[in-house]
Amino acid sequence: MSNNKTIWHKLGNIDYRWLYALSLICTIIPILYPLGLPVQVSGGTIGYFDAIDKLPAGSVVAVSFGASAQLLDEQEAQFLATWKLLFQRDLKVLFYNPLQDGTLMLQTELGKQVIPASYGKVYGEDYVVLGYAPLGEAGEASMGINIRGVYTTDWKGTPLNDLPMMKDINSAKDIDLLIFVYTSCTDVEFPIRQWVTPYKTPTIIATLGCCGPMAAPYYPTQIQGFLSGSGMGTELEVYGRVPGPGAAMSDAKNIGVLPFLFFFIFGNLSYIGNRYKWGVKKQ
Amino acid sequence: MSYFFKKQLPIILASLAGVLMVAAYFLPWQPLQDIKGLMTNWIVVISAATVAMGFVYMTTAQIKMYQKNKTTLQLIYTITPYVFFTGFALSAVFYPGGSQSPEYQWWFSNIYSNVGATIYAIMYFTLASSAYRTFRVSSIEATALIAGGMIYTLRQIPLFQVYTPWIVPLGEWFLLVPNTGGGRGAVIAAALAALVVGIRTLWGKEATLEVQG
Amino acid sequence: MIWTIATLGTLVASFFILSVLSMLWKDNPVFRIGQQAVIGAATAHYIVLNFESVYKNALKPMMGGNLLLIIPLFLGLLMYTRLKKEASWLARYPTAVLVGVGTGVMIAGTLRGQIIDQLKATIVDILNAPASGGLTVFNTVLILIGTITAVTFFTYTQKHATEKGLTLLGWSAKIGRIFLMISLGANWSGELVWYLTQLIGRLTYLINFAKLLIGG
Repeated sequence: MSNNKTIWHKLGNIDYRWLYALSLICTIIPILYPLGLPVQVSGGTIGYFDAIDKLPAGSVVAVSFGASAQLLDEQEAQFLATWKLLFQRDLKVLFYNPLQDGTLMLQTELGKQVIPASYGKVYGEDYVVLGYAPLGEAGEASMGINIRGVYTTDWKGTPLNDLPMMKDINSAKDIDLLIFVYTSCTDVEFPIRQWVTPYKTPTIIATLGCCGPMAAPYYPTQIQGFLSGSGMGTELEVYGRVPGPGAAMSDAKNIGVLPFLFFFIFGNLSYIGNRYKWGVKKQ
Repeated sequence: MSYFFKKQLPIILASLAGVLMVAAYFLPWQPLQDIKGLMTNWIVVISAATVAMGFVYMTTAQIKMYQKNKTTLQLIYTITPYVFFTGFALSAVFYPGGSQSPEYQWWFSNIYSNVGATIYAIMYFTLASSAYRTFRVSSIEATALIAGGMIYTLRQIPLFQVYTPWIVPLGEWFLLVPNTGGGRGAVIAAALAALVVGIRTLWGKEATLEVQG
Repeated sequence: MIWTIATLGTLVASFFILSVLSMLWKDNPVFRIGQQAVIGAATAHYIVLNFESVYKNALKPMMGGNLLLIIPLFLGLLMYTRLKKEASWLARYPTAVLVGVGTGVMIAGTLRGQIIDQLKATIVDILNAPASGGLTVFNTVLILIGTITAVTFFTYTQKHATEKGLTLLGWSAKIGRIFLMISLGANWSGELVWYLTQLIGRLTYLINFAKLLIGG
């Protein structure tokens, strides 16, 4: 009976709306007053950067842009940094979208946040956007065999044969690097099965934070690098010296996560205190 | 005859399609590669052509919800998706450029993206509160779960990267060694299971093609 | 502050963000309306984009002479027969093609990409490890142990325990479970930080809108 009033019981039964309120406050503070702490770069990010950086001039990069507009906060830093790195170099970039949102995101993000023309890139000669088709794994397999089997025109309706860049590009054999952006964790298997295994296409991936650990078993033998979450997007911004929105995101996490950590500690103290009956006199 | 067309022929078609795909993967014979290219392209068209099913299922679900709870508030909830559906559809139909028009972009950016993103945002509170209630060091497995979770969480936060720099190589080690070990085992086990189910499907032993009616 | 379509859009977006965040207090009609709004929006968005895809990737090439595309288009339309009970058996044909092709491409890549290459990577790492030093040897052996024990965890055709206690397979599965728990913990951690990032994004949006209102 007296156990119900111990500090351990109370620590394990705090109204979770306190956690909500404290989390909100602690997340808002660094947004208003940034801390500006540096980030450390991980091996996956270095591998991702090196895969792009080591491409010879004139290489063709295919970007399977399966991002979702609702997950922009998590992935924006990744793909903005990636596009800046791609357009800084003398590369041919081919975008295609296996998810509905991709084309619209490319319109807003590629047209406004990263402007290819500012890097001297010309549409149709240096980069092409093929648009949306519900590819799935079979569609990725089809792209590897014959791109024109899936897409006969680009996103604006221009026939592919009318685009100078697409003259010599039609299958996986013409692609020097695949960048696979996805949001469903098991989709990492698509490029592994349909690009890496049959064609040995060098592949790097960019995905959500929760999908990174599932992609780690394929690194570095089957994928050369990976970005997992906005944190690694920020790392790419730092390592590649292409500043973007990631820094502010990473900064705000510093204090925002603290209420959860404290509550987690309280919960376990409660468990241990109750289990070993700390502070309860033995009768 | 009816049984053949209703049950057996679809299974034969599925098996034939699957065997052709497997053969094309391993045999570098150009006609097979062309068939594979053709059929994988057809999948894209079939998937896109089922475009209106989503509307049908949404309507069925909304009608069921209203029938369970015939109140004014439920009626407002039922009508709301159609209001926004109409707004989207009209902006795509009546403005030049379709989904690439600024008007469609307005609906896409302000409603679809923002609301969807916020639903993921409130998941943070759900996850944090459920972890507060359930993550306890009550067994070796639970401790392993917490260790993997907490160390990798701290590794991602710049505050801990700066003031506890050892967390970075430790977090990387957790990701690239024990996580990779467990992950590889899971990948191999899942792949073996997928192979078995796949072969059973192509053999006609799986109930995947059963459609009610 | 000058009210433009863009500013109006930001106001609407902010209203919906707050309506969804109101769920934190309790379930309420404003949250439900926001939820239903995104259901309608997502359905419309899916239909609009897929219709454009059908037009671009099937109808237009057909008008250009590629009449073979009438087959997948017809198969896709057959899917709608699911809605009528008497005719729903016709939907088995497009399903057969989807399942057959999907399964075929999956099987072919799975054997090499996910089984052979994964085992090869584990073994090659161990063979190359001694050249890199003691820690690398330890790490690669740990990965091998994790891989084997995690696979045994999913083996259900043999008993993991008898009256005398755990069998060898049982002990291996127990160790494998620990490795899998570490993996699950890392996944969970990724989710937590992902959702926190989403929250930061939404709060930043609201703060920027508030600054716009205050700043005029």
